Amino acid sequence: MSYTIAVAGKGGTGKTTVSALLIQYLKNRSAAPILAIDADPTANLGEVIGLTVDSSIGATLEKFREELPRLPPGVIKNDYLQARLNEVLIEDEKVDLITMGRKEGAGCYCYPNQILREYMTLLAKSYPYMIIDNEAGMEHLSRKTTQKLDVLLLVSDATTRGVRTAGGLKALTVELNLEIKRIYLVICRAPKELNARIIEEIEKQGLELIQTIPEDYRILDYIIEGIPLTNLPGDSPAVIAISDLMEKIL
Amino acid sequence: MEFKVEIGPQFEGERVRKDDLYIEFGGPKVRSKGELVTVREMDEIEHDKITILGPDIPDLEEGGSYQIGTLVEVAGAELDKDMEPVFERKIHIYSNYIEGFMHLGQRNDIWMRVSKDAVKKGLTTLKEVGKVLSYLYTSELPIIEKVAITYITDPQKLEEFISTCLAVYKERDERVRGMTEESVDEFYGCTLCQSFAPTHVCIITPERIGLCGAISWFDGRAASRIDPLGPFFPVEKGELLDENLVVYSGVNDVVDERSMGESSVYSLHSIFENPHTSCGCFEGIAFYIPEVDGIGILSRNFNGESVIGVPFSTMAGELSGGKQIEGYLGIGIEYLRSPKFLQAEGGLRRIVWMPREIKERVKDDIPEDIFDKIATEEDAKDIDALIEFLNRVEHPVMSGEFA
Repeated sequence: MSYTIAVAGKGGTGKTTVSALLIQYLKNRSAAPILAIDADPTANLGEVIGLTVDSSIGATLEKFREELPRLPPGVIKNDYLQARLNEVLIEDEKVDLITMGRKEGAGCYCYPNQILREYMTLLAKSYPYMIIDNEAGMEHLSRKTTQKLDVLLLVSDATTRGVRTAGGLKALTVELNLEIKRIYLVICRAPKELNARIIEEIEKQGLELIQTIPEDYRILDYIIEGIPLTNLPGDSPAVIAISDLMEKIL
Repeated sequence: MEFKVEIGPQFEGERVRKDDLYIEFGGPKVRSKGELVTVREMDEIEHDKITILGPDIPDLEEGGSYQIGTLVEVAGAELDKDMEPVFERKIHIYSNYIEGFMHLGQRNDIWMRVSKDAVKKGLTTLKEVGKVLSYLYTSELPIIEKVAITYITDPQKLEEFISTCLAVYKERDERVRGMTEESVDEFYGCTLCQSFAPTHVCIITPERIGLCGAISWFDGRAASRIDPLGPFFPVEKGELLDENLVVYSGVNDVVDERSMGESSVYSLHSIFENPHTSCGCFEGIAFYIPEVDGIGILSRNFNGESVIGVPFSTMAGELSGGKQIEGYLGIGIEYLRSPKFLQAEGGLRRIVWMPREIKERVKDDIPEDIFDKIATEEDAKDIDALIEFLNRVEHPVMSGEFA
C-alpha cells in the first residue's frame, strides 16, 4: 500500500500549494513514483505542478453513463470503464496525476463508483507515495479513493476562523469513518509569531500544529506567470518549510 | 515451468509507468489492435505453438507504441464456441499475472505494456509472453487440452485479423441479444445499493438488466467471478414456480437471505404480485394508473410532472428503499426492450404513457401497431387528457384487450 498524505482545507488557504510542494519534495528526494490526486474540482493541482490536464474522472464516468445504452452487449463494462479510467492518468517523470473533476450528475453512480474504487485500489499498489489534494467536504475520501490515510494535513491561514474550519474538518473525518493515523494542522502565510488567540483556538479545536509556512512572495509571482510551483528554488522559504514538515512526518 | 520473469496473481493490477516503459502495444495512441479466442478441432492446432507474424520486440524501437493482434486458439473434447468470450477474458487475467507486463481492456480496445525491468530479466520477445499464456491456459483450465498463440504485428495481416475479430464480436453480440432466461442456468444478484437501501436485492437475468441500467447478465457474470465476496453473486435459478409472473425457487431463496427476510417471493416480470424491489437510483419507474388500468413509464431525465401530476423525484421517494410496492417498479430503461417486460401484465401493450425521449430510444422494440397509441407529454399532460387520447387512438387498455 502507498504511504498516503491527504491535504484538506478551506479554499484559498494554500492547500494546493502545500500539495504541490509535497510532490516536489518527494520527487527530489526519492526514486519512488508518486501518485498525485486532484480531488478538488475548484483547484487545479495539475496546472500548479506543470501538467496539462485535458480529462477527468468525473467527465469519464459521466460519458460512460451516456454511452451505456450503446455499448455492445458482449462488452464487459467493468473492463471497458477500467480502460477509460486508465486514460485519465497523466504520466510525467516520477509523478502521475489523476484529476477527479466535477461532481457526478443525476442518476445512479453506484456501479461506476464501485469500478472507480476497484481501479483506485489497484492503482495505489503501483505507487509508494500518494498525495491527495482534497475538497473541503472530503467526499472523495469517503466514497471514491481511499478511506485509509497515513497523514491528513489540515491547512489554514493565520486566522482563528481558518483554524476553526480546520477543527470542523477534523470532526468530519470521524463522521465519515475515515481511518487516519495522524492529523496535523499546517498554517500558511504565517507571521513569525502566531497570535495568542490563534494558539488558543488551536488548543480549543484539539489540533496539533506541525508546521507554519511563512509568506513567500515568489509563490504569487509563479502563479501569475503560470510557472509550476514545483520549479521553486530550494532556498525559497515555503520550500524550506515543507522540507521541515516532511522530515517530521516521514 | 521456468520463465524469464515471475508469474502470479500478485502482479495483477501492476501498472507499468511511463518511466519504466520499454515498449507499448495497442493503447490510445494506436488504431489497429484486437484480441480473439477461437475454439478449434483437436487436429487443427499444434499444442504450445507460439507464432509471431511481423516484427517482434527486438525489431521495434524502445519507447514506441505499436499495433498488435492476439489470437489464442484452443482445443479440447469438451469445448464449445459459447465459451470463447469467457476464455478471451482470460487473456487479460493471465497477461496481468506476468511480472512487468500490463494488459488493459478487451476486444479491439486493448493496451499492453512491457517494462524495462522485464526486458532486462529476459522478456525480450512476445514468444515469452505467449509461452506464459499457453502454460496458464492449460494448467488453470484443464478443459483446454491444446493451445496455440499468435501475435500479429504485420500491418496487412493485422488488418485481416481485425476484420475477422469485428465480425466475431458482432456475431457474439447478436447471440447475447438473443439470450433468454430459459437458456442459462444461473442469474446474478447485486447488492451494491444496499448501502442506502439495505433490503434491496437486484436480480439480473439475460432479459432483465439491473435497475441502474448499467449491469447486464454478462457484467454480473464477469463481476461475480472477479470478487466472489463482493456485491455481485451468482443465483441458481432453481425451479420455475410460476411461468406467468416468472418466479424461480432459487431466486426466492437468495432474495429472502440477502434482503434479510424483507422479501421472500420475487416475481421477475410483474408489477402487481410480489414485484421486484427498488433501490433508489433506478433509471426509470413503471407505475400503474388505475383510472385507465394502464401503466406509465417515467425516467429520471424527465423534467416536470408525469401524467399523474407528480415529478420523478416525488415518485422515486415513494418506491425507493428496498420494499415491495404493488403498482410501482424501478427499472433500467433497457428493460423496456426485453421480450419478458412485465409479461404478467401484458408488457408494452399495457403502456399508456412515457416521455417522448424514452419512446424514441426504445422505438425499435415497440410493436408497430401500438407505437402511436402510447401517449407522451406532448399528447397528454394530465389524466383527463390521457383518457381522451387513449379513447381516440383506441388503445388496447380501453377495451381490456392487452393480454
